[in-house]
Amino acid sequence: MSDIKYLETHEWYLINEEVITVGISDFAQNELGDIVYVTLPEIGQDFEKGAPVVEVEATKTVAEAYAPMDCTITEVNSQLETEPETINNDPCGDGWMFKAKVNAIDDSGMSYQEYETFVS
Amino acid sequence: MDKRTTQLHSYHESQNAKFIDFGDWSMPFSYEGTLKEHDVVRNSSGFFDVSHMGRLEIDYSELDKISSLICSDLINIPMNKALYSIFTNENGNALDDVIFWKFEDKIILIPNASNASKIKSHLVDHNVDFIDKSLETVLIAVQGPRTIELINDRFEIPEKFSTAKSDNFMYARTGYTGEDGIEIMASNAEAESLISFLIEKGIKPCGLGSRDTLRLEASLPLYGFELTEDITPVEASLSWTITNEHDFLGSDRIKTQLQDGNHKILKKFTIESRKIARTETIGMSSDIKGVVTSGNFSPILNKSIGFILFENKPPQNLIEFDIRGNLIEGNIVNKRFLS
Repeated sequence: MSDIKYLETHEWYLINEEVITVGISDFAQNELGDIVYVTLPEIGQDFEKGAPVVEVEATKTVAEAYAPMDCTITEVNSQLETEPETINNDPCGDGWMFKAKVNAIDDSGMSYQEYETFVS
Repeated sequence: MDKRTTQLHSYHESQNAKFIDFGDWSMPFSYEGTLKEHDVVRNSSGFFDVSHMGRLEIDYSELDKISSLICSDLINIPMNKALYSIFTNENGNALDDVIFWKFEDKIILIPNASNASKIKSHLVDHNVDFIDKSLETVLIAVQGPRTIELINDRFEIPEKFSTAKSDNFMYARTGYTGEDGIEIMASNAEAESLISFLIEKGIKPCGLGSRDTLRLEASLPLYGFELTEDITPVEASLSWTITNEHDFLGSDRIKTQLQDGNHKILKKFTIESRKIARTETIGMSSDIKGVVTSGNFSPILNKSIGFILFENKPPQNLIEFDIRGNLIEGNIVNKRFLS
């Protein structure tokens, strides 16, 4: 298993063999404020890199989380349907959004240190 | 251009507030989170720095002139009462919604931050004299069901919608959250000790984020969203504010609208999910089109709520919203969101 990587659009992903787990960064959840609703994708849905996968409603605004690479959804975090605030409380842990089979590997995300520099 | 900040800016910074630009101002958006602050005000007590709003002192010699510019009866409401009203233009449209505090010796007028300059020019244009107290005072709104019991050792509490004053403060039992509380005007010199007093009492600082969710849940309009220079009090479903029986600016059009009922109309709605119909979302009631003016999540109702402006009277309560390409159903509600 590799380390968590970050995108400029504030998602994180973790590659484990051919499956990625994806969520949004602590910076992103903090910027959004209280998250009250998420629209999760369907299992089996295909996404190209950069396509919007999850819609995140916060009291302040609405945002989207994008696919870090070409992938097919294998699992969604259904806990978020009833407890979307989990993303605020633990964005990189229990607040993960979806898992997906990688169709074209693209591990070009930033390391934690690089991302910290990017957002500061 | 640098944004304006209030006298209490360094306090907000010391509390790690997140800031938001609001017109010319940089104001606290939240401290511990919008929903937490919302909960504090619904269940206990919180305070808001609303010093970005205007504070104008007006002498009673100006009463008739100012009365001709607003839709409500400021003349006949009793002394030591507060009045919510709307400044209208010659078309009867809203220039601002404001609060008046009547004291024995003077009137305090509180316009919205974004409209303070406009209202001052409007008063000058109509030869109304005033003294602008905004720079030398702060305005703190203390709101929530426990507010009165927490502060009544220092403040003599007036009846609801009434005003009072002490050596250092002018205040009124008014607010913008739907909860009991008072709004306090204090000199800059008193500002820090007032905040210290509130914090000692366990009253929490709250930001504009929760102020917005609270006012929306309390069915209260916000200038710039529900109210603009393109809507009359009648169209904004604020006909209850039209108590001025004399002629006032734009009163002809307002009377016509009250009589014929043929005008656009602001309505409240709920959506049975947490999907939010945000400002500018289109909603259709049968073939009558509406545009959402404000929409957000209601923590108390646990669903989405908002205001929508229809082109004319909607024929049915069912609304079909187009939320980013998805058709979502909602319903018009004719009573307040919170009972």
